Amino acid sequence: MGVLKVRVDVEKCIGAGHCVLRAPRVFDQRDDGIVILLDDSPVRELREAVHKAADLCPSQAITIEEIP
Amino acid sequence: MTLDVPAPRFPFRRVDPLQPPSQYARARATQPIVPVSLWNGRRAWLVTRYDDVRSVVTDARFSGEFANPDFPSVTEARVVVDKTERAFVGMDNPRHDHYRRMFTKEFSTRRMIALRPKMAAIANRLIDELMAQPQPADLVATLAVPFPSLVMCDLVGSPYEDHRFIIECAAGRHGLLQTPAQAAQKARELADYFMRLIRRKEEAPADDLVSRVIEEHVRPGNLSREDFAEIGAMILRAGHDTTTNMIGLGTLILLNHPEQAAALRDEPELVPGAVEELLRYVSPVQFSPRRVAMEDVAIGDVVIRKGEGVFALNPAANRDPSAFPDPDRFDVRRDASHHVAFGFGIHQCLGQILARMELQVVFPLLFQRLPNLRVAATEGEIRFKDDMQIYGVHNLPVAW
Repeated sequence: MGVLKVRVDVEKCIGAGHCVLRAPRVFDQRDDGIVILLDDSPVRELREAVHKAADLCPSQAITIEEIP
Repeated sequence: MTLDVPAPRFPFRRVDPLQPPSQYARARATQPIVPVSLWNGRRAWLVTRYDDVRSVVTDARFSGEFANPDFPSVTEARVVVDKTERAFVGMDNPRHDHYRRMFTKEFSTRRMIALRPKMAAIANRLIDELMAQPQPADLVATLAVPFPSLVMCDLVGSPYEDHRFIIECAAGRHGLLQTPAQAAQKARELADYFMRLIRRKEEAPADDLVSRVIEEHVRPGNLSREDFAEIGAMILRAGHDTTTNMIGLGTLILLNHPEQAAALRDEPELVPGAVEELLRYVSPVQFSPRRVAMEDVAIGDVVIRKGEGVFALNPAANRDPSAFPDPDRFDVRRDASHHVAFGFGIHQCLGQILARMELQVVFPLLFQRLPNLRVAATEGEIRFKDDMQIYGVHNLPVAW
C-alpha cells in the first residue's frame, strides 16, 4: 500500500464538518468554520477515515490521491 | 416508458406510517426516475436511487433557486413561502456560499461538541419533569418539543417563552393543509419576530448567535438586518421542527426494537452510529431536496426538460439497497453515515452537527433513566404527521 495525499478546496468548503468528526487528526475548521488540513499525508491507519470524510463531504471539497 | 399513462399525484400517502410510501421502492426497482403530477397539474420527477440523488443535487444544471417560477412544490401554500424566502436555502452559488459562510462558524463541529454538557443538563431536567408526570405521559410535549427548543433558544439568544410562537410559525409554514395566505402570514410573523430580536440584541448584546452575527456581519455592513431576519427565521424554524420529529419518531422506532434500544443504552460506542441509522430510517425532511432543470438533462433513460421540477427524495435514497443492504431493516449496528437525511451538496443542513449532538445526547439519557420506557397508546392514538411536510408524530403516549 502506498502513500495518501490529501487536498482540500477551501473555496468549495461549506463548513458542514463531517471531516472533523471523521478524522479530527487530519481535518479541523478555521474560526469561520472552513476546513483546515492538519496533515496532508496521513498515516495508513487513517486511510479509511479520510476516505469516509471525502465521501461524506457534501460540497466535494476533499480529494485524495493514492500514490503507489 | 409510456407517457400516455397520467402521472400519479404527488405526494403519496403512506400505507405503513413507519415506512416511506411504497411507490418509492417500486419506482427504484423499475423506473427510478419517475414522473408525477403536482397540485397545479405540472409534471415533476421523483429521483429515487441513492447515486442519482447525490448526482442531481451536485449538478449545476439543476438549480435550487426557490424564486425560479418553475421551482416545484408540494402545495400552493409552499409556492408562496418559497417566493418570499430570502435565506440562502433558496439560492444557488455564488450567493449561497456568500451568506452561508457568515453562519458556518456558529455551527462548527467543535462548537457543537462543546455544547454537549449543556444539552445533557437540559435533557436531564426535562426527563425529571417527565418522570414527575402521571402515566401515560406524552413524550412529544414533554421532551421532543422542549429539548431542541431550549437548546436552540440558548444558542440563538431568543427567550424560551417565545418557543411556542416559533413552533406555531414553523408548523403554519410547513403544513400541507393551510392556505397560501396563512403560510405567508406565519412566515412573515417569524421574520418580524427575528427582526425585533436583532433590535433587542443591538441594544443589549449577549453571548449568543444573534449578538455575534450583528457584531461580525451586520455592523460592518456585510449583512442587512432584513436579510439576517430572514436567515434567522429559517434557523429558528429548522432548529425546532426537525429534531423534535427525530426524537418523537426515533423513540417510537427504538421502542419497537427493544433489544436495539437496550444496546444503545448499554453500549455508548454504538450511539453515534445509532443516530445515523435513525436519521436514515426516519428521514423526516421527506420532500427534499428540490431542484429545477436549467437545461434538458438526460439521466438514465429519461430526459428531464428545462423548467421541469425534480424531487431528489432523501427518504427514497436512504432505502436504496445498493447503498444500504436490506434497507428496510432497522439496525443500529450498521454503518448508515452516508445517508442523505440532511440532504447533500451545498445545501446540506447547516445545523446537522447540532442535530447529531442533540440526538446523541438525548436518546441514551432517555433509555438509561427510563429503562422500562414503553409505548402506552391505544390503537390509532398515535397521530402521525400526514398533514406536515416534515414527518414525525404529533404525540407519543409513553409509560415507564
